[in-house]
Amino acid sequence: MDTAKMRDEVKGVLSREDVKYVIGYEKGTYGFRVSPAFIDKVEDVDKLIISPLCVNNLALYLTNKDKPPVPRGQTAETETVGLVVKGCDSRAVVQILIEGGYPRENLIIIGIPCTGVVDIKKLNEKFPDCLEGDVEEKDDKFIVTVDGQKHDVPKDELLLKKCKTCKYPNPVEYDILIGDKVQERSEDYSDVTSFEEMSGEERWAFFESEFSKCIRCSACRNVCPLCYCQVCVLESLKPQWIRRSPTLSDNTVYHITRAFSFGRKMCGL
Amino acid sequence: MVEDTFEPKIIAFLCNWCSYAGADLAGVSRIQYPPNVKIVRMMCTGRLNPLFIIKALQQGADGVLISGCHPGECHYLEGNYLARRRLTVMRKLFEYMGIDPRRLRMSWVSASEGSKFGEVIREVTEDVRAIGPMKEFKREGL
Repeated sequence: MDTAKMRDEVKGVLSREDVKYVIGYEKGTYGFRVSPAFIDKVEDVDKLIISPLCVNNLALYLTNKDKPPVPRGQTAETETVGLVVKGCDSRAVVQILIEGGYPRENLIIIGIPCTGVVDIKKLNEKFPDCLEGDVEEKDDKFIVTVDGQKHDVPKDELLLKKCKTCKYPNPVEYDILIGDKVQERSEDYSDVTSFEEMSGEERWAFFESEFSKCIRCSACRNVCPLCYCQVCVLESLKPQWIRRSPTLSDNTVYHITRAFSFGRKMCGL
Repeated sequence: MVEDTFEPKIIAFLCNWCSYAGADLAGVSRIQYPPNVKIVRMMCTGRLNPLFIIKALQQGADGVLISGCHPGECHYLEGNYLARRRLTVMRKLFEYMGIDPRRLRMSWVSASEGSKFGEVIREVTEDVRAIGPMKEFKREGL
């Protein structure tokens, strides 16, 4: 994760005529948070960062934007955007491209080989009440800066669970790669297989307890890069497939619908 | 005194061209089958939105039957293949979640198979009766 090198490359991308903006990460306003940045001027490039705090998937912003209706006889304006992706994010981008959610020729993928990102929850637990923090990576340690003080933390303590068994740390699709490719790890599905070994009643008991907690805030849908239908069946009122009250029954329908919509995407139903 | 036995409610989605005509033939030929099934006619099983199944189970059905033309005989060429794929995925999903996948059933009944329609309904009713009432995500207060 080389911020300086990425800024150089983004400058190169932005100086192209057709590129409207580059989607990347910038420092957030509070704590350890980073926020997405839409950089459209070369002088703003220095805002961009890339660090183990850049957890969230930016592929969302390819499809999550207003598409105003185009007057008859005119075609929609095409704009080329740059997108900073980690290995895992690049797979979401590939799925969007497969579905035709975004034209490949209008996309410049800036790939970052990723050695793992931090779990913000663990970080906040370890360093509560942090006003301004930063995390850097050095060999097998994270250097956490909390309000000016530096702490060394072993990487394993803070890594996100999925990063420990990440098979795709390198972007699978990219135009520009920042730095060298990193070593892949072997995937671990032991938690899934142990779940599958449980009996039907136990599995339903698990889902029942999970679904009864759900308040249906729809954050899972909003944050998902592959949920980008303009009209969503989950909130349609005519017909109203799912009632608004977050009961177990309607929560289950909500989550089955979302799971099924992905199943359909993956096997082309 | 009325005996408290479980009578399953089954919603059947039948395609207009084969299974609905098959059900019609079953009626015309006076073939006996259990009265637990409520039939919804659709133009093709390919029109079947997976939400139809989920909503049926949510709103009081104990089992869902989808019946269309035999493979290769769809009036719209490939609608029943779509339904078959959807139902396969749906059954897998149900199984994964711990809901009995036998509640969902697909069958092929052509317009000339009135007796087979009666057979299918009997089998489905017995299957669902054996599983028991749908309780997983049935809406409360029904």
